[in-house]
Amino acid sequence: MNAIRLIAKGVLIEGVRRREIYAVVLVSVLLIGAVLTVDFFDIEGIEKFYREVALLVMSFATAATAVVLAARQLPREFENRTIYPMMARPVSRLQFLLGKLSGVLLATLFCLAIFMAVYVAGTLWLGHRIPWALFGQYVFLQLLMMTIVATMSFWLSMVLNLDAAISIAAVLYLSASVLSSLVTYIFPDLTTVGRYLLTAFVYLVPQLQIFDLSAKATHGTDWPPLSLATMAMLTAYAAVYSSGFVGLSLLAFRRRSL
Amino acid sequence: MSSAAPVIEVRDLVVEYGRGRKVHRAVDGIGFEVRPGECVGFIGANGAGKSTTMKTMMGFLFPVSGTARLFGRDARDKESRRRIGYLPEVALYYPFMKARELLELYGGLSGLSKAELRRRIPPLLEKVGLGGKGEVLLKNFSKGMQQRVGIAQAIIAEPELLVFDELSSGLDPVGRHDLRNVLLELKNAGRTIFFSSHELTEVESLCDRVIMIHRGRIVTEATVEELMKPLNAYEIVFHLPDAAELPACVKQCGPKAEGRLHTVTIPDVTAYSRAISELASAGAKIQSTASKTRSLEDYFIDLVRSTEREAVS
Repeated sequence: MNAIRLIAKGVLIEGVRRREIYAVVLVSVLLIGAVLTVDFFDIEGIEKFYREVALLVMSFATAATAVVLAARQLPREFENRTIYPMMARPVSRLQFLLGKLSGVLLATLFCLAIFMAVYVAGTLWLGHRIPWALFGQYVFLQLLMMTIVATMSFWLSMVLNLDAAISIAAVLYLSASVLSSLVTYIFPDLTTVGRYLLTAFVYLVPQLQIFDLSAKATHGTDWPPLSLATMAMLTAYAAVYSSGFVGLSLLAFRRRSL
Repeated sequence: MSSAAPVIEVRDLVVEYGRGRKVHRAVDGIGFEVRPGECVGFIGANGAGKSTTMKTMMGFLFPVSGTARLFGRDARDKESRRRIGYLPEVALYYPFMKARELLELYGGLSGLSKAELRRRIPPLLEKVGLGGKGEVLLKNFSKGMQQRVGIAQAIIAEPELLVFDELSSGLDPVGRHDLRNVLLELKNAGRTIFFSSHELTEVESLCDRVIMIHRGRIVTEATVEELMKPLNAYEIVFHLPDAAELPACVKQCGPKAEGRLHTVTIPDVTAYSRAISELASAGAKIQSTASKTRSLEDYFIDLVRSTEREAVS
């Protein structure tokens, strides 16, 4: 446990001290700030527009951070040869992987925390109410989604090169809702084999859009929070896929020459 | 050599890279042992198989056949790594970490407590020539400083076995001098040291034993003394009067004569001083004396070239 903690701390320090996270945050805040200025024209419903854009931008930015941070962990370790002094110590390959992943998740959480602080400050500055229960659920589900995105990127970086891993993870994240709609749309017209293949695809690729609570958080005053049972199921879904990706990463890493 | 159980035990090790037709055999059935307290230099040209052997010893690479054991355990066994300090070939440590944080990370992974780390880190940084640099981000470190911090991470847990790949890489002459002192201190403290280096003078001055590898095979394994003995040579050039006779100890060494001018090469320093004294007694006029001792580097270059010639023919 101590080894995992120490490795995670190292990743967090590196992640937090690099300027990239702050650059992503700054660009996102500027975008959100631009939306805030629209309020000066007294447009009706601007509060919801602000919420929608802010949550979308923040989610994209956090996912980008998670993908890049996770995907480059292992390639960087090889490139800089830092993996050798690390693995020359009494550290198992599983501990190494879990430490790296935990660090990426902590750095992603740090990024998300900054965004949420900006979002809350912006909303309160506009004088609007925050539906705290729903907002809390939104943040939690974002974290679950980022855990899947990070573990998936981590695994992809082991079986592909860095660029390919980042590209595929980004495409899967960005096309999550489109893929879901497409699947629903074309399923009835497929042959039996096609349906089996599509079903397999749906189960193989994590359905990230189910964690997106941004629409409800935007219209939070009109929606009740999700039930505990739904939250538990979503948590289990995220746990299954994240564990799956960690397992696949370990399989790839266990017999890999360093 | 001590009769204690070997710290490093490599048997018939074969390591290959690539697959199918593109397979390249980097290590071709080598075997050797390193006993406790020994300082062994592992030398070879670039691509000879030094780093591959070391990485396999550390459990980073998987051999096709053969074994590499550390402290009697498989190299991939986590427990065997508790007693090792490893310096990789030119690493670039985490740029946004401070030197102190890096040592805390590696020391912590070796099982040192926070209090122990606080106690050990400042004098360790001082020892490797990085005193006062603990709070500097590693991205501001030069290549030589990175190597120094690398040495510090390798020795922070005071391991019994030190494995250094390309020991003095990136270090300037002052750095090499400091490093030699650190190694001598570790050697005197009874640590086992196994290192590869292209600085053969360093190997010559520090090691008890040398293993030379070429094209994945061991070509020489001997103590430094054994290796250096045939490399020693002292030359005397002298005039011998007509009536005088060559002393027996000079005759034995097969002197060459050009008129009255004789040249003799003597392989041993004691015989050399005796020859000078006997030549003087015989009335010879000594024109010049010189040490023609060849270095380990000369020996190594000759060995590599002769192996290359054999391979071509």
